[in-house]
Amino acid sequence: MKSTLLLALVLVSTGVSVAVAAPLGIYQHGTVVRMRMGDCVLMHRGFMTAFGPPQAAATEESCPEYTLVTDKVVFLIVGKSSNQLVPLAEIIDFRFQHRELAIRVDDARHESKFAIKEMTLRSQWELIQKHIEDQLNDSPHRPVDTSLALSSRE
Amino acid sequence: MLTHWHTRSVLLALFALAYVSAADDTNRFSGLPTYRSTVSEVRVTFFATDENNHPVATLTKSDFAVVDNELVVRNFRSFKHSDETALDVVALVDLSESVAPRFRVAMNDVLQLVAREQSIPNDNVAVLSFGGTSGGMSGGIRPAVLCASGCRASDSVSRLLAVKSGGTTPLFDALIFGADFISHHRRAGVRPVLILFSDGNDTISLHSPREALEAVVAGAALVYSVDMLTSEIQTSGSTFLRQVSDATGGRYFSLRFSQQDGAATVLNAVLEDLRASYVVAYDLPSHQAGFHALRLLPTHNLNLKFHSRNGYDYEPSGH
Repeated sequence: MKSTLLLALVLVSTGVSVAVAAPLGIYQHGTVVRMRMGDCVLMHRGFMTAFGPPQAAATEESCPEYTLVTDKVVFLIVGKSSNQLVPLAEIIDFRFQHRELAIRVDDARHESKFAIKEMTLRSQWELIQKHIEDQLNDSPHRPVDTSLALSSRE
Repeated sequence: MLTHWHTRSVLLALFALAYVSAADDTNRFSGLPTYRSTVSEVRVTFFATDENNHPVATLTKSDFAVVDNELVVRNFRSFKHSDETALDVVALVDLSESVAPRFRVAMNDVLQLVAREQSIPNDNVAVLSFGGTSGGMSGGIRPAVLCASGCRASDSVSRLLAVKSGGTTPLFDALIFGADFISHHRRAGVRPVLILFSDGNDTISLHSPREALEAVVAGAALVYSVDMLTSEIQTSGSTFLRQVSDATGGRYFSLRFSQQDGAATVLNAVLEDLRASYVVAYDLPSHQAGFHALRLLPTHNLNLKFHSRNGYDYEPSGH
């Protein structure tokens, strides 16, 4: 419910920014700050996973997860296969399409679609990051539980 | 878990963290106050290949980003061509029964490698083996050094020609043996390369595949694996060979699809990769102790593939 509301908020703000930036294109901009290989469960959810044979369940393949930071919102997006990559340029262009994030690849018209796993307001995300940083500074030689962050290490 | 010498060798390698200390060690005993300033820097040696699997000669620092323990790094302290200009080649040859059909081909490749005087000085090539039989005796479980230097001498060549295939496959033990051999023969400015001829299928090692992978990653060598598998079906052995090569920043070749002879293909690739290598240095993004996973990824052209070691061990100073 909360994420639906947030998505609605983001879509509304997207609509506004698209209208404003229409002559320049339909893309929003963001920066990828983290990347990890996670499970592909998100990609395999659905009827066949729930009720189908065991082989329809999530495979052991890992999918790339990216933390994409924008002005207002921080997205955790997941690729659909192990080799679906986001170009890690300083600024990347993206837009919403059918509850997915379409990212412009290599300055071309080609887009690559990613599932949205999580969305957090940037202010909240920054608080979490600060908390992690403080933890690191308090105990520099102790491994930090980064599960508090958007992307946790398995 | 990596052993202490593995950790040290990683720290000493080009790839490792360089602790720049303002204090001179001689001050430690002179009674003078010591001011220490520690800067942690990560150095990564790498090369890139294009969509045709050819090395890319010219790269800029805006062509890639480093992902260090999940954190994306784009600001680099330095970026330059690698200083390494020569090769130290160790050929590690599987002589076991499972590769018997391609054993003679592999040995011919090894002899051609040894004979490439223009590319590798005589002292910079060694041949190790595992499995197999020699002079009617079983090669057994322990890997063997067939020649450590002077491999072009007639007695060394005779020894290489005398080996016979057969027996079991202690591949993982042999990789650890090879990594240890290389770390003991390491020289500055020379790139150590381990060319592994095998089908990737272990049958008898005391060590696990994970331990073998950790040993080669901790060692400084790039592993170029040559898959001796004759079947068209991809096996777990082939997957392991790919894993080892990828983890060290080397490459995987299959003799099945090679049009030229294996030795020429692999050695040319090793030399081209050496010439196309760069070193990038950046500030340690996270002081989290332990293994830092590492990956270089393109910023614009997704057809580029970057080859580097897949991680390093970070021990905070004072530990």
